[in-house]
Amino acid sequence: MNYQGGLALIKRTWASWLQARGFFWVLAFGWMIPPLIYLFVWSTAAGEQTVAGMDRGEFIGYYLLIILSNQLTYSTTNWTVGDVIRYGQLNTWLLRPLPPIFEAFAAEIAGKVVFMLFVLPVSGILALLLRPELHTTWMEGVAFVPALLMAWALRFFWGYWLALLAFWATRADSLLVIQDSLVFLLSGVVAPFALLPAGVAAVARWLPFRYMVGFPVEILSGQLPAGEMLLGFAIQIAWLALAVFLSIVIWKKGLRRYAAVGG
Amino acid sequence: MPIKPIEPHISARGLSKTYRVVERGEGLAASIKSLFHRRYQNVDAVCEINFNIQRGEMVGFIGPNGAGKTTTLKMLSGLLHPSAGEARVAGYVPWERKTGFLKRISMVLGNKSQMLWDIPPMDTFRVLGEIYQVPRAAFQQTLDELVELLDMSALLTKPVRNLSLGERMKCELVAGLLHQPEVLFLDEPTLGLDVSMQNRLRSFFKAYNRTRGATIILTSHYMADVTALCPRVILIHRGRLLYDGELSGLAERLAPFKIIRFALTNGPAAIALPESAHLLPSEDDHMACRTSREDAPAVTSYLLNTYSVADLTVEDPPIEAVIDQVYQEGEV
Amino acid sequence: MRYFRLIVRFLRASAQQEMAYSVNFFISLIYSLLNLGVGVAGLDILFTQVQSIQGWDYASTLALLGIYLVVTALRELFIGPSLEALAGMEGEIMSGKFDFTLLRPIDIQFMSSFRAWRLFALLDLALGIGVIWRALAIPGSLLAPGNILVFAVVMCAGMLVMYSILLAFSALVFWSPGFLFTWVFDGLIQLARYPVGMYPQWLRFVLTWVIPVGVITTIPAQALSGNLPAGYLAGSVGLAVVFFLGASFLFRRSVRRYTSASS
Repeated sequence: MNYQGGLALIKRTWASWLQARGFFWVLAFGWMIPPLIYLFVWSTAAGEQTVAGMDRGEFIGYYLLIILSNQLTYSTTNWTVGDVIRYGQLNTWLLRPLPPIFEAFAAEIAGKVVFMLFVLPVSGILALLLRPELHTTWMEGVAFVPALLMAWALRFFWGYWLALLAFWATRADSLLVIQDSLVFLLSGVVAPFALLPAGVAAVARWLPFRYMVGFPVEILSGQLPAGEMLLGFAIQIAWLALAVFLSIVIWKKGLRRYAAVGG
Repeated sequence: MPIKPIEPHISARGLSKTYRVVERGEGLAASIKSLFHRRYQNVDAVCEINFNIQRGEMVGFIGPNGAGKTTTLKMLSGLLHPSAGEARVAGYVPWERKTGFLKRISMVLGNKSQMLWDIPPMDTFRVLGEIYQVPRAAFQQTLDELVELLDMSALLTKPVRNLSLGERMKCELVAGLLHQPEVLFLDEPTLGLDVSMQNRLRSFFKAYNRTRGATIILTSHYMADVTALCPRVILIHRGRLLYDGELSGLAERLAPFKIIRFALTNGPAAIALPESAHLLPSEDDHMACRTSREDAPAVTSYLLNTYSVADLTVEDPPIEAVIDQVYQEGEV
Repeated sequence: MRYFRLIVRFLRASAQQEMAYSVNFFISLIYSLLNLGVGVAGLDILFTQVQSIQGWDYASTLALLGIYLVVTALRELFIGPSLEALAGMEGEIMSGKFDFTLLRPIDIQFMSSFRAWRLFALLDLALGIGVIWRALAIPGSLLAPGNILVFAVVMCAGMLVMYSILLAFSALVFWSPGFLFTWVFDGLIQLARYPVGMYPQWLRFVLTWVIPVGVITTIPAQALSGNLPAGYLAGSVGLAVVFFLGASFLFRRSVRRYTSASS
């Protein structure tokens, strides 16, 4: 395993992304706005009385965590992978003595760092201004970390195999837009999962989208009893395994087609 | 009765342009510092340039990259305000950007396209015709003439993205000439084109200048463009005007030497030359030496008297070598 | 008259460019429907939990969403594409092609605002009008079609404000090329999806007086339900005129800066 090469790639990507930090911070700003809108709307709704058992402070706490979770799990490289395939840049990747997925990982890590440089301070300021509340336990804190990591992995690999469809179809990125929309609706951005209408929630429990952003936050903000949490983990792991499997299979098939058709 | 002197079509007096450029160091520490404390540097792009160009002249702006040629052109076309000095083009002050002025000039850039990319050139031409308020009859006539001169009737209906570089350049020229400008600024128009296309475009420019009487300023890195088209050149280097006159005069001023090419009846051999002459690497079975203009006759007769010479010519140095020397030495 | 003919020319050229890629039509259709669906779904979820927030019920909030879709459709129709062509990521300011625009014997602001059209936006316009219609038809809603005239006037004022804000953001690109100010606007306009009444007090103030995003949708929605306080009609028209003049002045000043400072 070419660890040195991988590390050098990460460093170089990181450095060049830092140069363009203004561009990335504008992106991060744009992604922060939808959860922020719902933070305001729900906290105003819960101004006088609680809504479904959550009061104003709890909504604010929940949504600040959603902002962080959304940012940490958002996969920017899924968008560029399609372009890389379409415009033949893949040839450069394939010639390197590194599996091309390293390029994607390097970009992911670089992205997380650059985005966090913006989002963390802003969230901190918002937290100071808005006075959130968070009721959590040690166990929930411990469970939060793997849930978040797997959420990132799930969101990444699910988007990755969709993006790899660019080997066959030119506008595969429209599928990513649909994925983002479903995450927005079903993963705790529009409303915490517990507040979704019963029918929608029943379906969404079994779909992968909830586990991409909202699930870790639900754990940390104490909205899930232990049984629910374990079930959630099981579903998350299952979808993650499927996503990784699909990514590998489609990558292999797509590469064969790419080599046959010509880059 | 006194004859009123004809006002030059393009004139520049003390034209200057200075930029403030932000200094930015390398590395993370420098980037963070630059967030708080910006350091500026003054860059003199153009310094006190003076010239007059009469109507119908074809002038070449030459000089190394970054010399200030493009900056000067941009000031003359109104795209830039000068830091100091004056200029008049076709009777207007360029940077006032009056409508009358803008309709009389045109700029064609070799490295940037003004064509709309996904649709046939004809559609871009129509939009431009409307923008420049070209009457329909004149539009059609000019278009037909240009299309014929450039031999491009087949290209009019193909999307621009499907055309080759040379074909796209032809479209750029039509786009730039539809409104029959009096003044034409050509910035590297033959950039990246193959030799036959370059030749064709040169004939086109020559014909256009002759038949329309348009004043043309051309910048180009291909000396062949300048030699073929511009009886007069203006040499700009590090923002200063170093030379304004005939191209041949430039060679005389800058490189007062001659090249003597000769062939010995018995083929190339080691020979002794007077001190004033330097032997150059030989090609084929011809030998060559370089000597100053004054010493050329003496060296010539020395060679003819001392050796058995089958063939001998005395030449001016190639203009590229002359210009190269200026670029390297940075002065005349 | 001349400017009208120019607009027709620009329209035709843009239409031809759009039709050069037929697959874009279906993609645009999907995106429009997705945009609509997500917006309405968000409202449905929100109002499952509450009846009204600060006096805004489902019908009036839905009407506001419709107004938002109409306004953004108009932006997508010509203002957006034209200013994006100037100040966006592949825009003329960054690529240097702005020189060509400067050479044209046409008013720069006119050219920068009307040059590029995206006729697919008419679909979004129709969808937005449909949503407003649907909201008006909800039984028991407070919406009264009798206020149409007032509504039309404040809608126009709101659109003029939107144009002015976007123009001002585009002008800023001249001062700091490389920073995607128009994307910042994209983020901020999202806040117009919900009535400013649903936001906290301090945000309401910012969105009414500092960057009057709220004026664009909230006031027309209030007009539609007959809730418009006295003086708001004149106030929003006045605000629109002031912002228009200010943004135009900023834009022209910025073009001047470009011609003084660029290389």
